[in-house]
Amino acid sequence: MAEVYLLFLAGAAASLLLYKFQKAAAYIGFGIPAAACAFGIWYFFSGLTGGSELLVSFPIMEAKFVLDPLSSFFSFVICLIGLAASIYGIHYAEEYSGKVSIGAMGFFFNLFIVSMLMVVTAAHVFWFMVFWEFMTLTSFFLIHFNDSEKTAKATVLYMVIAHIGGAAILTGMLLMSTGAGSFYFSDFKGINLSATMATVIFFLFFFGFGSKAGIFPVHVWLPEAHPAAPSHVSALMSAVMIKTAIYGIIRTCLWLPLSEWWGIMIIVFGALSALLGVLYALTQHDTKALLAYHSVENIGIILLGCGVGFYGMASGNGILAAAGFIGGLYHVINHATFKGLLFLGAGSVIFRTHNQDMNKLGGLARKMPYTAFAFLIGAMAISALPPLNGFVSEWFTYQSLIQAALGSGAMGTFIFTGAIVALAVTGVLAVMCFVKVYSVIFTGTPRDEKIWEKSKESPFLMVAGMFILVGACILLGLGAPYAAGKIMNVSLSITGMGFETARGINVVSSTGSIVSPVLISIVFVSMLVVPFLFTAIFRDSTSTVRITKPYVCGTKYSSRMQITASPFTGFLRQVMNWLFRNEVHFEETNGYFGRVKYSSHAKDIWWSIFYTPVIKGLQFLSDKLSVLQNGRMQLYASYVLVTLAFFIIIAIFG
Amino acid sequence: MNIPDIVYLIVQVVVIILVSPLLDGIRRIMIAKFQSRRGPVDIFQTYRDIIKLFKRSETMPDCGTWVFRSAPYLMFTIMAVVIAVLPVMHTNGTFAAASDLFLIIYLFALMRFIFGIASVDSGNPFAGIGGSREQMIALFVEPTIILAAIVVVFITGGVTNLGEIKNFVSSEAILNVLPVFIFSGVAFLFATYVETGKKPFDLAEAEQEIQEGLLAEYAGKRLALAHGALVLKQVAIVGLFISIYVPWPVIDIPILSLVFFLVKLVIFYYFASFVEGVSTRLRIGDTRLAASGAFTLAFISLILFIIGRAA
Repeated sequence: MAEVYLLFLAGAAASLLLYKFQKAAAYIGFGIPAAACAFGIWYFFSGLTGGSELLVSFPIMEAKFVLDPLSSFFSFVICLIGLAASIYGIHYAEEYSGKVSIGAMGFFFNLFIVSMLMVVTAAHVFWFMVFWEFMTLTSFFLIHFNDSEKTAKATVLYMVIAHIGGAAILTGMLLMSTGAGSFYFSDFKGINLSATMATVIFFLFFFGFGSKAGIFPVHVWLPEAHPAAPSHVSALMSAVMIKTAIYGIIRTCLWLPLSEWWGIMIIVFGALSALLGVLYALTQHDTKALLAYHSVENIGIILLGCGVGFYGMASGNGILAAAGFIGGLYHVINHATFKGLLFLGAGSVIFRTHNQDMNKLGGLARKMPYTAFAFLIGAMAISALPPLNGFVSEWFTYQSLIQAALGSGAMGTFIFTGAIVALAVTGVLAVMCFVKVYSVIFTGTPRDEKIWEKSKESPFLMVAGMFILVGACILLGLGAPYAAGKIMNVSLSITGMGFETARGINVVSSTGSIVSPVLISIVFVSMLVVPFLFTAIFRDSTSTVRITKPYVCGTKYSSRMQITASPFTGFLRQVMNWLFRNEVHFEETNGYFGRVKYSSHAKDIWWSIFYTPVIKGLQFLSDKLSVLQNGRMQLYASYVLVTLAFFIIIAIFG
Repeated sequence: MNIPDIVYLIVQVVVIILVSPLLDGIRRIMIAKFQSRRGPVDIFQTYRDIIKLFKRSETMPDCGTWVFRSAPYLMFTIMAVVIAVLPVMHTNGTFAAASDLFLIIYLFALMRFIFGIASVDSGNPFAGIGGSREQMIALFVEPTIILAAIVVVFITGGVTNLGEIKNFVSSEAILNVLPVFIFSGVAFLFATYVETGKKPFDLAEAEQEIQEGLLAEYAGKRLALAHGALVLKQVAIVGLFISIYVPWPVIDIPILSLVFFLVKLVIFYYFASFVEGVSTRLRIGDTRLAASGAFTLAFISLILFIIGRAA
């Protein structure tokens, strides 16, 4: 384990030393983590079954890192996305040469990956919290490589929410260690806690980690911070950093004596996050903000699976718990692959067009065919279309929800069935959203000729980085029986019970349903013969193909006639206008008869419901407290005196 | 791999694909009768239309990428896959793992995905509107489809493979849960009708309003295939309804099962063409109202299921 971590640290050091040579820093600073990740993929994959430990002794205390199956699984996911993002980063960093120090970027990039890896293996409260905060700080600096006023605002929001979350996690951990009388995670399992205390700790952990994961209603930082970061960093943040929070929830909540309603609560929050995430994603026209909202959605889907897992653990049904965790964990790795891929794809487009507003793009598939293909695969995977990987994990989640609904009371059945319907609706909306994203960016006619003319395919290593993840998406889909078996081992280490997940090429659920991505692909490929057969039979050899402009009732075609991102979801926004409060800007530029400027942008209403009151309250409070700070030296001296007197009184009489 | 199953699958898909234009022909004649028109000469008109289209030359918009070019082939194939895996002639055999409820629902989603991208890819403003509407209609009916189907999955004991569902529904055990089954069936039937995209719900391919949406830019063999894919989609969704809710009569001879399946399709088309013949296109907002009615029915079936289980 130490060798993997040391490789990253070496990468960080080397990259910092090369800060004067931009090009070399890019190759070394991102090349070493790529190698380290490749090594880590192999290392952690072999760790999926057995465990190993790492002890580092420091003068004051020793640091303990434990690699059990759950940690190995998350480390594996981090290394997989890290590999693609590092390879991609070598060329992507060119974008920043001359503007920022690439050496420093590589330094933080290495530290970011290694701190994530150490978070998921740390087995001691102190070291866990240190690396947790380290992860937040390094990602904070990485976001700041895109320096602008907007970035500053996004990072402040990110820091505030991350710190409130961090404080909650720390409180929860300290309460646990008081109960256990130790700081080692290994002593936390099965300690005696009163029911109230357990519930308090559960809420601290759930919302503490939830703030990092982007669970509704603490999701607001994602759509601000992810678009602000450089693309390979947003890929890492969205694909794996928020997964460390899922790791945290699974790791910490299992120490507690579980209650059934916790599982149900996780499912309710999961369903809400999934639905609201995708609904807000639909109204975005900044590609990366849209993808960030999709992270909220997918974290919701992961929570649906994990919620069933917790519910099963609480009700003593090990098979149900295993079914739930399989769905959740499978979606963890799937979301990491396709979301990483989509962010890298979006990054490619930004790299060549310098534009994040999809309403100015269009027709890019003709200029960037490889990026377009990779993005299309990512879009299909995230929309859970068979035979790709998203479908398999959602299928497992559906099956676990069905089993949970059948085995619970009336209320439980309603909630689990509601979660199934929510997941189905999320699926429909995700298809709608990714049809919009892909087709508006990559197909049709260019909406801005200048941008289109200048764009071309991304450099080789960026395409290579994307295609690693394309491969992962396809393999995790078609190789589902094998992957599910591996994940079953991980889930087995949590729940202690399991079931057979694979029978030949078929994936089997705990209820006995079977599905096979391979079989459906075989049927698909063989059915592909049918349309070609028909065309071959009936074809007339004299028929020709004529290329024309699209038909617009005989008038002259203009690219402004085609549909754009906002009208594509226009009717949805009309139906859901209670949810999307549109911010409308309307401006007459040149009198009544001149052109007017009109723009509307859907706002996140939860900001004004949950956050504005808090911000206003804080402002009000600090306004009132400002009386204490009137700037006179005498007043401050008197504060000192009063405090001193107060403590003397305590010392004498207390 | 079981050789008879493979043969059944091929026979099933070939026969249904070859018969589906006939169903469309019956539908056209029926509508004409209901509207006191003469209509096509005979029920084979759709065959002649499609064959004629295959022979015609094509026009292609200059902005269309490979998605636009291959979309008719892909859509046709996906719908052929759905028809192939329905448990009509083969049940619980080699293809059990392909005839899963969720898999089929997501295959329809795949079809919709390609439909949407191809319509924006054509650059045609009408096609883009059609693509957008197709997604909205799915949003309205999907909750009903999933809820109604899930209730049936609940009563069969949690297995989502269509073969198992078919076996349970055709057994006598269904009589104990008949009210649940009927409510869920009516809700699903409604959703099925909306998904077929006929009047009053022909919003995405509205001929007079938005020039048949996606089809606007296609010509020649691709138009024939796209047209065929939409006809197949209707057959596939109706077939899904039939294999979940109307498995009777249960016969062990595969060929007879296929014949009865076709008879049931004809009956559905007969009644559907009546609805289609006498109604006018709804606006998309009214579709939502109608869909929420169907969702209520599905919800009632869920409540009945829970009450029935408690009792």
